[in-house]
Amino acid sequence: MVGVFDNPQLLLFFIFGGVLIAGALGVVFHPNPISSAILLVLTFFALAGIYAVIGSIFVATMQVLVYAGAIMVLVVFVLMLLSLHEEGITKLWNHPFKKVLVLVVVVLLGVVLVNAVREGIPNTDLSPKGYSSSGTYEYPLTQAGEEGKKPVFAEGNTAVVGTSMFLDYLLPFEIVSILLLAAVLGAVILGKKNLGKKSGEGDV
Amino acid sequence: MNPGVLKPMIAGIPVEYLLILACIVFSIGVAGVLFRRSAVVIFMCIELMLNSVNLVFVVFSKSLQQVQGEVAVFFVMAIAAAEAAIGLALVVAIHRKKKTSFVDEMNLMKW
Repeated sequence: MVGVFDNPQLLLFFIFGGVLIAGALGVVFHPNPISSAILLVLTFFALAGIYAVIGSIFVATMQVLVYAGAIMVLVVFVLMLLSLHEEGITKLWNHPFKKVLVLVVVVLLGVVLVNAVREGIPNTDLSPKGYSSSGTYEYPLTQAGEEGKKPVFAEGNTAVVGTSMFLDYLLPFEIVSILLLAAVLGAVILGKKNLGKKSGEGDV
Repeated sequence: MNPGVLKPMIAGIPVEYLLILACIVFSIGVAGVLFRRSAVVIFMCIELMLNSVNLVFVVFSKSLQQVQGEVAVFFVMAIAAAEAAIGLALVVAIHRKKKTSFVDEMNLMKW
């Protein structure tokens, strides 16, 4: 067992992890959807904190900008558009046998996942990619061993992730942009008032 | 585990702790999908599950020293944004027609 107070990162991990789990439980069990959404934002911030603690600054920033910024604003807007009344949890909850069944399923899933983590088998013949031999971020931009030239490196988390994205994953990146365009068009079509009606009777 | 390849600690945090945290959050997300009735809240629980998988991506990326894991997280986020736009537009469209956003009151596809 590592001493928690000798190691500020481990202490931060436990703080953020506790907030993460408490927030996630709040999202599931709070009866008011707006409160659930706010708790989800808290959860996203805690997860961004964990990313920052383990040193993935780029992912932490994207977490705050994309999830806590963009997606949650969308969710809260939609919640405001819907007619809200407190829902409680599902009718399943009133049925004692089904309640126990669902809880057993969830607990079993958690146990199976944790066991899978404990005996997971990573690929054994990997050479580090995007990392230097000393463990810092480093991505070669030119081929090593060219005549009379030193190799050029991208250094730092954001630069290395960006370099890898645009050198190794350029095609998926462009395809994702097309996917986002299609999603925007689909959302506009779905959001129209008279969907699928030429004359417009106000129905879906 | 092969200790030569998998780094057991990231910045002083054992890898297992991070993975178990991700497992717990994923299970909570599954519980939310099973328990809640409101479609938007179910959607938020799915976001929770996506986030726990993102955490696993980042942890293994750092532990195996492969930067591709963090690139994968970027793609997962982009697809989650697309999913948010389409899913919420569907919820609004159905709410306009059926005046409800509770999944156990929707039976459009039942026959």
